[in-house]
Amino acid sequence: MTVLESTALSPEAEKIRGRIAATPISERVEVLDLDLPTLEVGPEDWIALARFLRDDPECRYDLFLDLASVDNLRRRERKTRYEAVVHLHSIAHDRHVRVKVVIPDGAEPTLPSVHDVWPAANWFEREAYDLMGFRFTGHPNLRRLLCHDAFVGHPLRKDYAPGQRWFFAEEDLRMPDWAAETDERAGHFETQTLSIGPSHPATHGVIHLIARLDGERITRAETQIGYMHRCFEKMSETHTWNQIIPYCDRLNYVSAMINGVGYVKTVERMLGIEIPERGVLIRTILSEFSRIMDHCVNIGTNLVDIGALTNFWYLYQPRENIYSLLEACCGARLTVSYVRVGGLAIDVPEDFDARCRELLESIPKFLEDVDRLVTRNRIVRNRLSGTGVVTPEQAIAWGFTGPVLRSTGVAYDVRRSRPYDFYDRFDWDVAISREGDNFARYSVRMEEMRQSLKIIRQALDILPAKGPVSSSDWHVMLPPKDAVYHDMESLIYHFKLIMEGIRVPKGERYDWIEGANGELGFYAISEGSGGPYRLKPRPPCFPMMAAYEHMIVGGPISDAVATLGTLNIIAGELER
Amino acid sequence: MSGVVDVSARDPKRLTVAERLYFPEIFRGMAVTMRHLLRNLVRMSRLPTILYPEKKRDYSGRFRGKHILTTRDDGTLKCVACYMCAQACPAECITIVAGEHPKLAYEKYPVVFDIDMLRCVYCGFCVDACPKDAIWMTRDYEMAFFNREEAIFGINKLAAAPGLPVKDGYGYRPYYPGDGTVPPTDASAAPVPPGDGERFRIREAGLVTVRPSSPQLMPEDAETPPR
Repeated sequence: MTVLESTALSPEAEKIRGRIAATPISERVEVLDLDLPTLEVGPEDWIALARFLRDDPECRYDLFLDLASVDNLRRRERKTRYEAVVHLHSIAHDRHVRVKVVIPDGAEPTLPSVHDVWPAANWFEREAYDLMGFRFTGHPNLRRLLCHDAFVGHPLRKDYAPGQRWFFAEEDLRMPDWAAETDERAGHFETQTLSIGPSHPATHGVIHLIARLDGERITRAETQIGYMHRCFEKMSETHTWNQIIPYCDRLNYVSAMINGVGYVKTVERMLGIEIPERGVLIRTILSEFSRIMDHCVNIGTNLVDIGALTNFWYLYQPRENIYSLLEACCGARLTVSYVRVGGLAIDVPEDFDARCRELLESIPKFLEDVDRLVTRNRIVRNRLSGTGVVTPEQAIAWGFTGPVLRSTGVAYDVRRSRPYDFYDRFDWDVAISREGDNFARYSVRMEEMRQSLKIIRQALDILPAKGPVSSSDWHVMLPPKDAVYHDMESLIYHFKLIMEGIRVPKGERYDWIEGANGELGFYAISEGSGGPYRLKPRPPCFPMMAAYEHMIVGGPISDAVATLGTLNIIAGELER
Repeated sequence: MSGVVDVSARDPKRLTVAERLYFPEIFRGMAVTMRHLLRNLVRMSRLPTILYPEKKRDYSGRFRGKHILTTRDDGTLKCVACYMCAQACPAECITIVAGEHPKLAYEKYPVVFDIDMLRCVYCGFCVDACPKDAIWMTRDYEMAFFNREEAIFGINKLAAAPGLPVKDGYGYRPYYPGDGTVPPTDASAAPVPPGDGERFRIREAGLVTVRPSSPQLMPEDAETPPR
């Protein structure tokens, strides 16, 4: 980079630029300062930069968060048509960075694979190949991931017309090459390939696991996903910012509220608007209740899978009660659609505080019951302790976040590392464990539910009894109905918002919050129109699903079922 | 802000002899389930489960169920076919065909207003988008169909029947709350004094040219009176 371009950068970006200056690639890496420090690099230097970012002691970007593929066909000011936008996190220095791999225009967008630098990149690159047609040289298994194997074209490209219909047959699904091998070994055992799922109760959603078995031990496995791919990203490009909120509910449908909050926070930051304190606190309270729900479902179904059915009922009872609270607030139980860009759809009912406190009283009782039934139970311990073990190094390399990463001893929680809303005002602990096995994940989730209750109690204490819950900026929020019916000005605002959508300023932003299952990020690009140019969620369970086929090798099928349960795979956000 | 809590440190890894023997733990677990059983037997009325078709869950006045098209006092739809709900709908499930109303004050009305109940995601955006207070939601969630055509509800299934109670009560609407709250009066909702045929009189006076789009309401022969 030249001296002329060296405008004032943030200290973080300046530090990275200083470190890169000493490397041979410094001439060809451009350091920018957007919402995050951003590096621009060509594909020929991408591997060198990746190794530098991971290994340099001042950078140590060891957690691969997300890879978003961008088609710049309708963005005039970008140099080339395709870009791969990578987001990384440094556990040691607790910060994010963005790398844009600017792919020169040519026959097919090609860039090197970085799966050997960050193993987590493996599936993200497959997804980018599938949806955008990026060719990753050196990728071990560059096949379609979300779309059907017989699909033709790359749907996220801007010249792919949305709304095309495809019909696919099961026969066209590609099985791994090794699945057909028969390997007769000495003795009485013969290895065989077993297909588990896609519609199997233990696969929680529709996940297809192909496992090579030697006796009962899995020697090789591969997961196939995509049965619930709903083109979230393509659909969001053809709809307005507000219309995407109901789609977000269907990402992680177990804790729909958190998804909505994560999404609207990204848009609100792009708009630069502030939400009244009361609205933020209500979002926090309901998000934490959703987190409890998510953990309840996860632990409950996991215990069902390993044969402890009763806990399922004890854990579903608080979930049921939380659903009733959500329904009283917004009118729906599962897919809440409660948040809006700029605040909340409507104010909470008058008895909100009382209902929340009632829940705070009742939920611990159910947790106690489960604790008593499970935590010191030898059968559960035998099933969960020492199975599905992940070391902290593996967890970081595979891109884990959330309770699964914390169960290995890495205390990375977005609510602590970058406190959004009022999380820095509350007194709560990040729950970690040192074991990294299935039981550690169970105990971390149990503790997190108690911490969430603690947060909710404090948030209720400072929740103002009255006051607005939404921004009064009518460029963003719909004006009150009274005004719409009787006042011309308000009706015009109303009309413009509905017909054109919120005008989000040109730019891009990656924003992240702590989802129930890990870091939930949204990378949004706006071109100044009423809808996003590109929207890429960072689904927390995606890297875990990618690592699953490696985690279960060597163990029996029964452990694989327990491991899948504790990883908390939600097909809705996995496949979007 | 506070610290980090290590759950593995406070959890004694070694199980006690009693825990390793299986049976004491099994009986401890049985005690928990038996307590629940006995408590439920004593307080049958507070059971969390509901005997569904006989007894129904009590939903709040914000429940987002089947839609309802509200009417003016004279029984006509408040909807003015402005397409705002169709535009706001994230599922694109609303189909509207607009027509010209014989009453000049009503101007436009929906000739067709279809909601595909199988496409609908019940997000309530149509209610938020309506500038005329013309679409609400009810607490009716019992919609089962034999085929996809049946799931497309037209005006006849959506319009509020004046004088008849709404099935399961009103749900999500612009003026929330609780049940029984009356929405503020909408200026357009009041019946309009001039009677039917007003448009014809104006046209005959040569003030405005009107081309009717709905033959049912305004037959061709009425437009051009026989000479």
